[in-house]
Amino acid sequence: MPLPGRLIAPVAMIFCTAAGAVAAEPPLTAAEMQGAIQLDAVTIPTPGELFAAIGKIGKPSWASQYREPVSSTFPSRYQTALNMGALIADGFIAVEAQDGQQVKNIGRDIVALAKTLGVSESVVARGKSITDFAENNEWGTLKEELEATENEVKIAMEEQRDLDLVTLVSAGAWVRGTEVLTGVILADYSPAAARLLRQPAIVAYLRGKLNTLPPRIRSDESVALVATRLEAIEKLVSFPVNTPPEADGVRALHEATAGIIRDLGGRKNTP
Amino acid sequence: MSRICLLLCILAGPALLNTLRGDPPPSEAASSARTAALDVAGAFANDGFKLRDGFWSARIEKGARQTILVNLFAGNHYWFSVAASDGARPVIELFNEQGQRLEAEAWKDAARSAAGLSPAASGPYYLRIRLEEGGPADFCMVYSYK
Repeated sequence: MPLPGRLIAPVAMIFCTAAGAVAAEPPLTAAEMQGAIQLDAVTIPTPGELFAAIGKIGKPSWASQYREPVSSTFPSRYQTALNMGALIADGFIAVEAQDGQQVKNIGRDIVALAKTLGVSESVVARGKSITDFAENNEWGTLKEELEATENEVKIAMEEQRDLDLVTLVSAGAWVRGTEVLTGVILADYSPAAARLLRQPAIVAYLRGKLNTLPPRIRSDESVALVATRLEAIEKLVSFPVNTPPEADGVRALHEATAGIIRDLGGRKNTP
Repeated sequence: MSRICLLLCILAGPALLNTLRGDPPPSEAASSARTAALDVAGAFANDGFKLRDGFWSARIEKGARQTILVNLFAGNHYWFSVAASDGARPVIELFNEQGQRLEAEAWKDAARSAAGLSPAASGPYYLRIRLEEGGPADFCMVYSYK
């Protein structure tokens, strides 16, 4: 890996392979591992990271993973937040497919949901940028814009003291991203691709966050649905490094995540 | 232009959040650490790496270590960039899920360092920050991938 050119000239560098300097370093202690910080913005990968990895294994047909447009109104803010996350993942799929029209459609849907959640002020500007970049086929920039959009939605939620909604956006994005990933893997199964599904810490983190939500949120039908089904999903993404799931296991995970997305999109809660 | 907007968003977001939560705003030291970390990450962007729109920032005492859990995907290449304030020299170390130290690509200068990894397996990894020199200090870590 060459050092980025911009840094070479202005700084006095020490470039080393880590092996020599760190060989004497002890491993992490159990306390360090148990006490490790987990932050939504760092610990949970974006759909873009996930799709970048699968894109190196084959040439997925991203467009085959599209779904029907989602409603812009849901019975609860919690269900809306979950769908917002899923929609952001849809945006990444459209970017991977380099489908400008689909990107614009999803950008419009994101703004619509943001309005419902009361976080549209900053997102509206992002929606305009997304449209502009899509028209100019700036796919790399669009990925950054989508990440920035997700982040701005979460920041706006924090501004409104809707901290709990942030977890729901992350959960929705992860579930939809995993539905797509498993769909891509099933289309051309290989053990190497199936190894990407090994994500036990992500599901454990999401479950932990969902389980600590206030009771009024946990009792929301959509939140309860996700929390309950993630328990089974955690088992499906927890496997030894060298033992990826067979196609049947991938299919089970695909059906589980697709079922959540389907039910979140159509489920009608009591207000 | 978009990259500038992204960086501004990362820089401005925490200040706003802290203000709204009633926390003290980030210190000048914290802001400078964040700017320096983003500068390193910006350099990796020249090599095709995407900057994740998120960061980890905290105060670290001399001799202390702080650890964060990340989830990485086999096939991706990651660079984790960290910078510290007050003349402290931060070091970033990578560990697998068993807590064993991983060999990583490494880069550092007086107040910043970076560690690169192409994980062989998808799953959880740990990053540990410590100060090789100086402290206490504010540090900020960001990461990039491709």
